[in-house]
Amino acid sequence: MLVTYIEAIRQAMDEEMARDKNVMLLGEDVGILGGAFKASQGLQEKHGSDRVVDTPISESLIIGAGVGLAVQGMRPILEMQFIDFISCGFDQIVNSAATLRYRHGGQTACPIVIRGPSGGGVHGGLYHSQNPEAWFFHVPGLKIVAPATAYDAKGLMKSAIRDDDPVLYFEHKFLYRRIKEEIPQEEFLVPIGKAALRKEGRDLTVITYSSPVHAVVKAARDMASEVDIEVIDLRTLLPIDWGTIKASVRKTGKVLIVHEARLTGGIGGEIAARIGQECFEDLDGPVMRLAARDTHTPFAPAMEEYVLPNQDKITEAIRKLAAY
Amino acid sequence: MLVDIVMPQLGESVVEGVVVKWLVAVGDLVVKDQPIVEISTDKVDAEIPSPVAGRVAQLLAKPGETVPILTVVARIETSLGTALPAPEGKPPWDEETEGFPGHMARKTEPPIPAPPRVEPTAPPPPPPPPLSGRMRITPVVARMTAEYGIDLSGIAGTGIDGRVTRKDVEEYLASGGKSAAKTAEPVAAAAPTPSKAPAPAPPPAPAAAPAAAPAAKTAAPAEGDQVVPWTPIRKKIAEHMVASKHTSPHVHTFAEVDMRKAAAHRAIAKKEGVNLTYLPFLIQAAARALREFPAMNALVAGESTVLKKDIHISVGVDTEKGLLVPVVRHADKKSLAELAKAVDDFGARGRTGKISPDELTGGTFTISNPGSKGNLFGTPIINQPQVGILRMGQIVKRAVVVDAGGEDAIVIRPMMYLCLAYDHRVIDGVAGNGFLYRVREILEAGDFS
Repeated sequence: MLVTYIEAIRQAMDEEMARDKNVMLLGEDVGILGGAFKASQGLQEKHGSDRVVDTPISESLIIGAGVGLAVQGMRPILEMQFIDFISCGFDQIVNSAATLRYRHGGQTACPIVIRGPSGGGVHGGLYHSQNPEAWFFHVPGLKIVAPATAYDAKGLMKSAIRDDDPVLYFEHKFLYRRIKEEIPQEEFLVPIGKAALRKEGRDLTVITYSSPVHAVVKAARDMASEVDIEVIDLRTLLPIDWGTIKASVRKTGKVLIVHEARLTGGIGGEIAARIGQECFEDLDGPVMRLAARDTHTPFAPAMEEYVLPNQDKITEAIRKLAAY
Repeated sequence: MLVDIVMPQLGESVVEGVVVKWLVAVGDLVVKDQPIVEISTDKVDAEIPSPVAGRVAQLLAKPGETVPILTVVARIETSLGTALPAPEGKPPWDEETEGFPGHMARKTEPPIPAPPRVEPTAPPPPPPPPLSGRMRITPVVARMTAEYGIDLSGIAGTGIDGRVTRKDVEEYLASGGKSAAKTAEPVAAAAPTPSKAPAPAPPPAPAAAPAAAPAAKTAAPAEGDQVVPWTPIRKKIAEHMVASKHTSPHVHTFAEVDMRKAAAHRAIAKKEGVNLTYLPFLIQAAARALREFPAMNALVAGESTVLKKDIHISVGVDTEKGLLVPVVRHADKKSLAELAKAVDDFGARGRTGKISPDELTGGTFTISNPGSKGNLFGTPIINQPQVGILRMGQIVKRAVVVDAGGEDAIVIRPMMYLCLAYDHRVIDGVAGNGFLYRVREILEAGDFS
């Protein structure tokens, strides 16, 4: 069936709520309104207002309540209306949810999913364009996923809901209705912790995830006559699929990491460092990064274009690395 | 105004306290919260701070005296004609030098000095001169240079500033570049090996050799020759074969196994309409022996060996696309019938191309069964990053000498040469031979229940 990226998310939540009565959805306007982006349209009507719950405007409350529900055996999905505001619930995530299993010596778990629209490219300005993954990449006890396709959006959401640990699910609002994709009618899951090879190549590896996957694949195809590019879509950011990365680096010897989040302190730095340390003798050039400029995401379209990575910048970076 | 200082109740059950030491004298000026007396009770010792600022007017208890709680022990005058002293330079608790109050305090340790600021003693070195004559190379090129013993000066670099890239080296080697003799060996050795050793599914260990095997010489096709480009699966097999031979020093050791009891078991099963091959017998025997020799059920990860808890046996399956090596999981927990079913299932699905990638990963040991025709014995290649592989030879009837009630007798038995290849980096001869001997014992004992 042909679905959009956001419809894939809605279907995954709907199917999991039908499958397991412990699955709930909490968030601002998720119920009667069906979500600010309509990710939960029809879910309250179908599953009831005690399972699809409209909350006050307090991310800390939503996440804190979710942790409590999880401890009591529920599997809550917690929507941040814009992922920018996840920072309001930071303490509940890093000190409460992420440490729960550790604090109890493995005897309890915290099966929550925190999801919400991330990313720019939609002229949303600095409060509606953020990519917060790096803040949480540093925290043990969390898992982070960031799908780029409708298939992964659905399969990863289902895996996230079934996972016993807190999963941060960063969906990209630029892709919500721009992606339309055939996905299987029957049920499927996408495992957490596995990257996907989007294109095979021998000369150079581009490691990316979420929205830039599409620009990278397009750039790689457009440049096929000059350089043979391998594209890795990480899909899961924590834990990262190092096996796939290393196998590719061993093959190509050149790596470009592309993410929409800012450069400094972004997760590309960790990937680059680890490649430098563990794949040093396979490297045929410096590990390079392309990311958003170190500033806030501007509102003005031309300035936003200037700040965020795009296909032209990707092509330029690839040329530079390929020539090395 | 005079303010009373009383013996506090330090704990619900405490009724009295001892004045240990006065920290101030009559007439002293005190600031608020300044400790004025040390007291001791059954439960705790403590310093009592002054609740107010002022001048000490009276001290009403002597050091050593025990007084009931809430008894007035001192009085402080707060209405002063003169200005109050400024708080002393040192606060009651200096977090900087004393840490946080409580058990984390490090009162006795000196404060940590700030690291000195070091100014460079010499000016920074000048930027490197432009590249002329001297060659800068990347890590992978350095490694390949050492591995293949090549002289980079003979290679025209296509990278920035004429840098020799990995591709340049590969092309040089592929075009018959002079590589040192020692490096031609592992490449050549892998190619003609007759064994159908399997291609490993997991990515090669970190120490693995270069991913692609550069051809030692170009084989220019003559007229009438057929050029068959490698399929992806063939490329994978080639990579893994070269990587394995390059990574592990293989030792091959052989046992001659009397398969009489296995053959008998098989014949009985056949009468019951069940077609058994010998492979499930081998899987069962190997799985049992692996339980006793955990060192053989292992994977190499960098410079350590991972002894695997579970026994998952990889078996080679011939498919149209090439050799696949699916994994029989928890082989030690499966009955002979279950093992046979698993193997048959792989065989059937291998022909239709429906073995999923997940089924190709996670093996901890491999058994290769290359079929029967004329295959007496062979030397398999280890399925990296495993450390051992068993290879079955053809089972043929041979006259062998056995002990028949204390007398030597010549009898006819179905015999099989069984070869074990093990990674001599991690498996010593004693363990390798012991394991192989044990597999043989289990097969000959004939207990397949």
